[in-house]
Amino acid sequence: MKQPELQLNDVCVYHDSRRLCQISTTVSAGSILTITGPSGTGKSSLLAALAGVLPPVMRMSGQILLGDRDISDVPAHERQLGMLFQDPLLFEHMTVAQNIAFGMSAQAGRDKALLVRRMLGDVGLEGFCDKPVQTLSGGQQARVALLRTLASRPAALLLDEPFSKLDSATRHKTREWVFDQIRSYQLPAVLVTHDEQDSHSAGGQIIGI
Amino acid sequence: MLFQRCLQLGWWLFAVVLVVPVLAGLLGMLLPAAGYFPALGYHSLSTVAIQALTATPGLGKMVALSVSTALLSALLSLAGCITLLATFFQHRGLHRLQHLLSPVLVIPHAAAAIAVAFLLSPAGWLSRLVAPLFGWELPPAFSVLNDSAGMGMVLAFSLKELPFLLLVSLGILSQPALHYTLTRQVAVAQSLGYHPVTAFLKVVLPVLYPQLRLPLLAVLAYASASVEIPLILGPDNPPTLAVAILHWFNSVDLTDRLQASAGALLQVLTTVAVIALWLAGERMLKPWCRQHITNGMRSTGRRGLPILAGMTLTVFGVAMTAICASLILWSVATFWPYPSVLPDDITTIHWQQGLGQLSGPLANTLVLGAAISLSAIVLVVLALEAGRSGPSPGFRLDSMLFVPLIVPGIAFLYGLVWLAQLVAPKAVWIPVYLSHLVYVMPYVFLSLAVAYRQFDTRYLQVAASLGSSPFRVFCCIRLPMLFAPLMVAFALGLAISFSQYLPTLLAGGGQLATLTTEAVAVSAGNSRRLAAVYVIMQMILPLAGFILAWWLPTLLFNPMIRRRG
Repeated sequence: MKQPELQLNDVCVYHDSRRLCQISTTVSAGSILTITGPSGTGKSSLLAALAGVLPPVMRMSGQILLGDRDISDVPAHERQLGMLFQDPLLFEHMTVAQNIAFGMSAQAGRDKALLVRRMLGDVGLEGFCDKPVQTLSGGQQARVALLRTLASRPAALLLDEPFSKLDSATRHKTREWVFDQIRSYQLPAVLVTHDEQDSHSAGGQIIGI
Repeated sequence: MLFQRCLQLGWWLFAVVLVVPVLAGLLGMLLPAAGYFPALGYHSLSTVAIQALTATPGLGKMVALSVSTALLSALLSLAGCITLLATFFQHRGLHRLQHLLSPVLVIPHAAAAIAVAFLLSPAGWLSRLVAPLFGWELPPAFSVLNDSAGMGMVLAFSLKELPFLLLVSLGILSQPALHYTLTRQVAVAQSLGYHPVTAFLKVVLPVLYPQLRLPLLAVLAYASASVEIPLILGPDNPPTLAVAILHWFNSVDLTDRLQASAGALLQVLTTVAVIALWLAGERMLKPWCRQHITNGMRSTGRRGLPILAGMTLTVFGVAMTAICASLILWSVATFWPYPSVLPDDITTIHWQQGLGQLSGPLANTLVLGAAISLSAIVLVVLALEAGRSGPSPGFRLDSMLFVPLIVPGIAFLYGLVWLAQLVAPKAVWIPVYLSHLVYVMPYVFLSLAVAYRQFDTRYLQVAASLGSSPFRVFCCIRLPMLFAPLMVAFALGLAISFSQYLPTLLAGGGQLATLTTEAVAVSAGNSRRLAAVYVIMQMILPLAGFILAWWLPTLLFNPMIRRRG
């Protein structure tokens, strides 16, 4: 199930009329593009632009292609770009299973519960289905957050410093696991990070802005 | 896209409901004031109304009373608020204080006024307590109530507005960015040798005050034009301008209507004058304050302010305790001759009688309150959601919110009623509903806007990136995650609607009895015991709403509960 590649043609992000960054590149399926740079240069804004969730004071120019589909003007919820932040941002009014099921499409139907249980079992979280998300550790929450994103069958992943708030032992393990998933699902991914180890183990192209 | 359309529509509806009734009402007041009143045979513009007004004896005194009591009570409550904040800033006691004072916020003005009247009346509890000291056998002939300077009014206003100003200040100071900066700046000031109280005065207050100005002006406007408190506690001859206008409007002689409309115009001018005086005072004090900040004194107010804060708290605490105790005692008292401190015996007969009489008004109050609060929340949420997504239309919402809070109710409500009678002469519920909504919406907006501002929008981005449409994100993420603040806003809306006296009385043409209108009516009668029952009900009802608002979110949309069960 090879995914189409993610292509960025002259993507620029503007704050009012000031240009924050400009980028042109292609991310092939299963590879991770790392974007680094000092804070305030608009790395996170670039991800927001790709995801289609720029705040009103910002705008974007250029072209975002998923395979040969131009998604530059498609509303956020139809872009099929999964997003992960520094915080897991699990919905606290739902259980672990409900969080993952929220990401699934309506077609998943009755098998949802079974599917969720299997996904959790695969990552060593058997029996966590009905737990409130607040009771999970940081590493567990990070895993559930990625499962939720994967459950929505994204065409590509956007990662905004997803490991920066984990302690160093968990960070290493979670990072390897997330990158393995990206490779096994053959997703193109864009990673924004400060951490050199992140970019090193991502193993893909590195762009500094 | 349909969802986006609805949001935009909601935004416009919100703005229209907020401003149009006030403007329409002002127009409906201006026409009769300018002598145009077809029902009485005045078909052309003239100065007849203004002449009738200026011929009123004691007009100057009425205006002076409105101005002086408004300025004095705003000054007192602001001073109380500042002393408390300066003393307890960064103190754990501040939050306890907040919990202690919030219930006072939801007590209707009318209830507070009646309760204060109970306490201070010649045969009231206070007089009974001091009677042995003076050897009184009969209630004293003089009264501190209804005094010609309006000091009873000032006391009631200050007690009622102090918690409002304090809670608004705490809301301002708890904005994350401001809180972060200020606590560090105070720490810096302390390291430069400033006493914490002085550091508050010189570092925090100059930042706080400009943001507190608009709510403060609302307090001034309200105090200069409200009727409940002056009607019950203020002097009779002459009363405040607003009370006089109320009498003229309700007068059997319909020609008094013209005078009343001209009076309403004068009331607007009076309120404007009060605000202008306050702003002028501010400007005069500003250079002195500037110089004061950098005068190098490091312990200004170090001793005085904590003492004043203690006094404020004592007065407040004693007054509240005494008010509650005396209300409860009166509501269950049998025979209670002067100067006994306690009644001869207790009975539930007044409660049975009161609750029996109240069942109709109570149902009206609840139906009206629920419908209004729900409508207000729907409009406010749509407006907030619309304001977030995409550039909102031209002008700012925030300043518009204060339109109904600053324009005197007595000035525009009559005009509104007059216009409503032209459109639908028999309508009772709709005009009351609209006039309440005008007052409920600003508070619901202010309370929900805080929660909206603090909401982490990345949750919405995550949900969108999972393929959820804006409508689904709104229903499944936004609303459930805001459930607790939505419930608090609902309870606040209920409380504001419960407390409305003038809008219910005027817009309903006196035909719609609610708890508050009945309580004011009974308090003017001679059954003190029944009045106590009514006032207690007035206090219980909004509190019950808030208790429900705190309790429900622990049950719904909370997976923690399901796990235990």
